[in-house]
Amino acid sequence: MLLELHQVCGGYGSGDVVKDVSCHADGGDVLCLVGPNGRGKTTLFRLILGSLSLSSGSIRIDGRDSKQLTPREMANLVAYIPQYHRPIFAYSVLDIVMMGRASHFSSFETPKAADREAAFAALEKVNALHLADWKYTALSGGQRQLILIARAICQSARVFVMDEPAANLDYANHQLLMEVVKELAGKGYCIVMSTHSPEHPFSVGSKALLMKEGRVAGFGSPRQIITPESLEEVYGMEMDVVTIGDRYGVKRTICLPVKAPGDIRSVYAAKEREQWEV
Amino acid sequence: MGKMGEGFRAYKAHMEAVRQRHYGMLMWGMAGALLAVTILSFGIGYYPLSPGQVISAFLSRFGYQGEILPQAVTVFWSIRLPRILSAVFIGASLAAAGATYQGMFRNPLVSPDILGVSSGAGLGAAFAILYGASNWGIQLAAFAGGVSAVAASYVISRKSTHSHTLSLVLTGSMIMSLCNAGITMIKYVADPNDVLQQITFWLMGSLTKTDMNAFGFSFLPMLAGLSVLLIFRWRINLLTLEEEEAKSLGINVRRYRLMFIGASTLLSAAAVCLGGLIGWVGLMIPHMARALVGADYGRLIPASAMLGAGYLVLMDDIARSLLSMELPIGVVTSILGAPFFIYLIVKRKER
Repeated sequence: MLLELHQVCGGYGSGDVVKDVSCHADGGDVLCLVGPNGRGKTTLFRLILGSLSLSSGSIRIDGRDSKQLTPREMANLVAYIPQYHRPIFAYSVLDIVMMGRASHFSSFETPKAADREAAFAALEKVNALHLADWKYTALSGGQRQLILIARAICQSARVFVMDEPAANLDYANHQLLMEVVKELAGKGYCIVMSTHSPEHPFSVGSKALLMKEGRVAGFGSPRQIITPESLEEVYGMEMDVVTIGDRYGVKRTICLPVKAPGDIRSVYAAKEREQWEV
Repeated sequence: MGKMGEGFRAYKAHMEAVRQRHYGMLMWGMAGALLAVTILSFGIGYYPLSPGQVISAFLSRFGYQGEILPQAVTVFWSIRLPRILSAVFIGASLAAAGATYQGMFRNPLVSPDILGVSSGAGLGAAFAILYGASNWGIQLAAFAGGVSAVAASYVISRKSTHSHTLSLVLTGSMIMSLCNAGITMIKYVADPNDVLQQITFWLMGSLTKTDMNAFGFSFLPMLAGLSVLLIFRWRINLLTLEEEEAKSLGINVRRYRLMFIGASTLLSAAAVCLGGLIGWVGLMIPHMARALVGADYGRLIPASAMLGAGYLVLMDDIARSLLSMELPIGVVTSILGAPFFIYLIVKRKER
């Protein structure tokens, strides 16, 4: 198993934000973290990446306790792909990808021909070879995500942690990125990504982890976990999960917020009254 | 991908190799230009030397017996040599430190004084001058002042709960204004006929008084700082990323940051205590270097150091030859630097 979390708790000074989370994912898996914002997804990522230490529980990466891994070993197993990325200086795409090689040569060295070779190979894997000599700052959000994925490949990590990869992308780029994520899983990488859209796991995920207030509200295959009941519990609104066939006959599952018919204002007014009376 | 893909990758790799060679040639070009500027500068000044005189003055130390004026020998060895060496090393130090600070603070408008090194050095020097210290004492006090100002900024910032770079900048500016207040206070109480003049002159930044002893004092910290930055230069790239991201690439961010702050501080403190406050070099030279060799610190640090050295040697040539009297070099770099800064700001707005 590439990634195993066992009763993980952790947070910042004032107390645990992530409480008792257990889950696992292997090569070929796309594990989607679903839940409202500010509910421990980012904290869980920090715990996995080791930038925040666990207060209890354990994380095993490729069978090894993550506490025993040096930063360098960690980098060769787990890569982080940040959400929105705007470097201050106009690095070339190749420069950015090559930063993934930092854990592969000593501090005294600069990248060698072999590192450049690895960077080109990684760019090729995400079909972005043509961007190699572009300025990274001139790329679109979607292209930047691709380049960061190439950097993660170049890092030779096998677990990719992606923080809301779709958040800042337009619709088409979003779809494209999801295709790339699927392809990477097909090549044996283990992808852990957070998302605020509950239907994401159906299209790309092989596993879903539903989080509510830092705790696991469900972990398993998307079909088991993402149900109208669980979504209402987590998001506090009524939702339908429906499966339809698209024009090519492929089954697609989508989540729809629903509301009982009636004047929306009267619903709000009733809610407000309720609050006042309490 | 198949054969087509292989070909495309080979083509891209080839293009990159060509680019690398091009940068390599550019680096050698810069080194050559620096050498030429340095050699030519020996002839420039209140007492001009012809190229022939420069060569024979140089050779006179190595047993050359030809016809040579003793004044030329003195000018070459005791006046021009320490001065030009100082300009080379101060320029290289300020530019390399500036480039490093800009990367570390993820801000292209940062200069080496960001953590208060210049103000601290100024305060130290002003104190020493007030108490009538020798030149050597003034230099030592300036160096100590600069280093302690940065150390104070660093230590205080560690207590803050803000992001580390943000709190460093905040404490740095606090220390800076504290030191400046101290300098003003000392100037206020200083004897205007003697001590005040000396303090003011020191703060202006000048290479007039540099001799081999003064250069020798600053040479070691500069050499140490430049070596650290040159050896670990590629890693500075990683500090331009968000802290979390840099960590995930497998490096100890805090340790590198401390090391680079240490090296840059040695450089700027040594530069300030040798030449006084020489502004703008640390801010604008890294930008010029970036325009020439790109953002990669693997090339940027050596390029900045060479450009900075050449630039300051040239500025010092201007300072000592433009008017019949000497101009303070700090004034010359500021007059040329301020318009450049405005240009930078305007250009950034357009983007």
